[in-house]
Amino acid sequence: MHKGYLSIVLHSHLPYVRHPDYEDFLEEDWLYEAITETYIPLIEVFQRLIDDKVDFRISLGLSPTLVSMFLDPLLEARYLKHINKLIELAHKEVERTRWQPEFQHLALMYLDNFYRARSIFERYNGNLSIPFKDLQDLGKVEIVTCGATHGYLPLMEAVRPSVRAQVKVAADHYQKVFGRRPGGIWLPECGYYPGYDEILKEAGIRYFFSDAHGVLHATPRPKYGVFAPIYCKSGVACFGRDLESAKQVWSSIEGYPGDYVYREFYRDIGFDLDHEYIKPYIHPDGIRVNTGIKYYRISGSENKQPYDPYLAREKAAVHAGNFMFNRERQIGHLYGLLGKKPLVVSPYDAELYGHWWYEGVIWLEMFLRKIHFDQKTIRLITPSEYLAENPRNQVATPSMSSWGWKGYSEMWLQGPNDWLYRHLHKASERMTELARGFPQSDGLLRRALNQALRELLLAQGSDWAFIMATGTHVPYATKRSKEHLLSFTRLYEDIKSNYIDEKWLADIEYRDNIFPDIDYRIHQ
Amino acid sequence: MAILRKVGEKLKNIAARNKKRVGRAISRKKAKETVVREEKRETLGIHETAVVQAKFSTPEPGRPVRRAMEDLPAGYHENKIVLQVRDPWWLHSYWELTSDAIDALRRRLGESFRGSRMALRVYDVSYIIFDGKNANSYFDIEVNPQATSWYIDTKGPGRSWCVELGFRLANGDFIAIIRSNTVHTPIDGPSWITDEEWMIPDDVFARLYGMGFGLGQSSPVGKAWQERLKRELYSGALSSGASPVKKHLQQKGFWMVVNTELVVYGATEPDAKLTVQGKPVALRADGTFTLRFALPDGRQVIPVEAVSADSSQRRSVTPIVSRETR
Repeated sequence: MHKGYLSIVLHSHLPYVRHPDYEDFLEEDWLYEAITETYIPLIEVFQRLIDDKVDFRISLGLSPTLVSMFLDPLLEARYLKHINKLIELAHKEVERTRWQPEFQHLALMYLDNFYRARSIFERYNGNLSIPFKDLQDLGKVEIVTCGATHGYLPLMEAVRPSVRAQVKVAADHYQKVFGRRPGGIWLPECGYYPGYDEILKEAGIRYFFSDAHGVLHATPRPKYGVFAPIYCKSGVACFGRDLESAKQVWSSIEGYPGDYVYREFYRDIGFDLDHEYIKPYIHPDGIRVNTGIKYYRISGSENKQPYDPYLAREKAAVHAGNFMFNRERQIGHLYGLLGKKPLVVSPYDAELYGHWWYEGVIWLEMFLRKIHFDQKTIRLITPSEYLAENPRNQVATPSMSSWGWKGYSEMWLQGPNDWLYRHLHKASERMTELARGFPQSDGLLRRALNQALRELLLAQGSDWAFIMATGTHVPYATKRSKEHLLSFTRLYEDIKSNYIDEKWLADIEYRDNIFPDIDYRIHQ
Repeated sequence: MAILRKVGEKLKNIAARNKKRVGRAISRKKAKETVVREEKRETLGIHETAVVQAKFSTPEPGRPVRRAMEDLPAGYHENKIVLQVRDPWWLHSYWELTSDAIDALRRRLGESFRGSRMALRVYDVSYIIFDGKNANSYFDIEVNPQATSWYIDTKGPGRSWCVELGFRLANGDFIAIIRSNTVHTPIDGPSWITDEEWMIPDDVFARLYGMGFGLGQSSPVGKAWQERLKRELYSGALSSGASPVKKHLQQKGFWMVVNTELVVYGATEPDAKLTVQGKPVALRADGTFTLRFALPDGRQVIPVEAVSADSSQRRSVTPIVSRETR
């Protein structure tokens, strides 16, 4: 008989990076890299587990911007072009490393990875939301939604209609793609401010996640700490993150990904090889980029050793065993302490697996297999299943919190990015004014109103403020924020003055084509 | 409970000490601490930040801006002040005050406006419906007339706040021009309020609290608190050389890398079959070929063999190349 539950949550998100005006746009690589290195490997893992009849449960957050990119034909075509070039490069690498056996088998490994990625991508006609939907329909994966464009909600407190729009646009988009209402939501960056649960309830969402202190600092004090969900007054459940299991994976100190035998993320042939040779595979302007072909292990010193996938795989198995052992101990201990079955919630960024921690995907697969075959203490569960089996939970109001740097809003509210909010809030107020001012509309006016909401949502993505604070890609983030705000302002002024430039509107509808079925009246 | 309270006090002391260092209310310019400087600390969310950053790991393009961008307006010609929560202790406020509004005040007050200074009045409005006069307490921050935003140290987690922007006159009176929305700062520790139906002994909760923060099963709450404080406020002691995160942040000293590659190229009849070291090579349409090999130390024997399409003729050339590094 098991003594407690474990709920693993992988949150995946990328901002909407789609630039039809340019043949090659560097930031689109964020998507292509994540497809090859994370999303497709995860699909493969889940598929293998199903083929081998390994029962598992996992929650997967897919942000609406990411899902929208999965559905976009232009990006699909560009991904194919991208993976074909990688296949070509990997072939050349196999040849180039002929006298370096320590690298050639790695070149062959990447070649194989790329071929498999292409074949899976083509199997779903480029639409990766299909395999995830299938996994959900099989009952193994529970897909949770996110803010429409991953807007950081606590900094929209002054303009709550925008919080509502972020949540409702997301929920409606989810329904369209996955054929059901979302049970749960991954609040962008786990950003919660008391009262937002009411908005989730309006959208039919039954639960969300918060960082540990969101639940531990809830009022009244939560009897079971983070090891059981709490209900907000609205009846929406809040699941708190367990930091012990988090640290083992995330931490640079105790964490697995820093192990010396694992692959080094920062040694990529896009940077290491002769410019003449690598030129066709990096940015046309000559800017070196990651290709995904990386030959070294972390090593623990500047003198990097060649990567050994067999050694790394062995280590991933050890780490999977270690993680299971620790969870068994943790859950066993908590069972005694609480007098009931504890729930341990372990959320991670999906892009940690495969992209950042190359072996993370293997680790996850091995962990899920071990849980199925090798132990009886832990039962994997999704939040929805947990709530169905454990409907009685304490009522408490979670504390405002996020899982970002320092646990609150500082990551998105500091010197380099605080100028944004004056403009974002103004645009939100204007959007509310439009939504209330035009309860009915059609034709060109309706198109302009809907596009205004798209531009506002795109400007609100938390990624822009995040990037401004971390200091890389700042010009891009600044440009994106400003362009969407400027487009919004122009639409607002055009609508108010009853002069809508159809040609320009059609142009930005084509460029910023996210959420084709959006209804601007949601923003109230 | 006693332990919790004791540690709670310690928290306040440390927080206060920390703030004294930073100053009571830092100006916008001073607040430009980016995350980079703090990155070595083991603060909450640091690993998450590093990993998310890795998603955006493509190098920055040096591409020129291809079309001139109009810029956002400096303001919207309105009198407005907005308050938002940064964390349990700090608020952020931004505002716009039109010169018309200031002129109107100047005209209204006449002589008594002379010597007045622009100020923020920060009201503690916890548990009340604020009518402008009934605040629990307030404090003023004098602001530069050019400032349009401010970070405010409230020293008051778990409270409700509202600010007014106005002028403090020479006689000490405060004349408000605009008032903000009301916000609530989160508490910075566990709630003192307990639910009778869901009671839990303090010592058990203390252990759960520590475990929730990942501090292990045996940690008493006092230690848990201290650890957490250390992580959040001033710890730089925890570090590791093992992480790819940290590696990336280290500054590289002076360095050099040298590698060699060998290009083998040639031509034969376009329809011939060519092998290099026994492996077939595809010819271009004009019969030429180019191969590029990483060249390690040692001797490479590279037989190149061409066989005519009808297999009647063959040519063989064998370059031998050796590399030695000193």
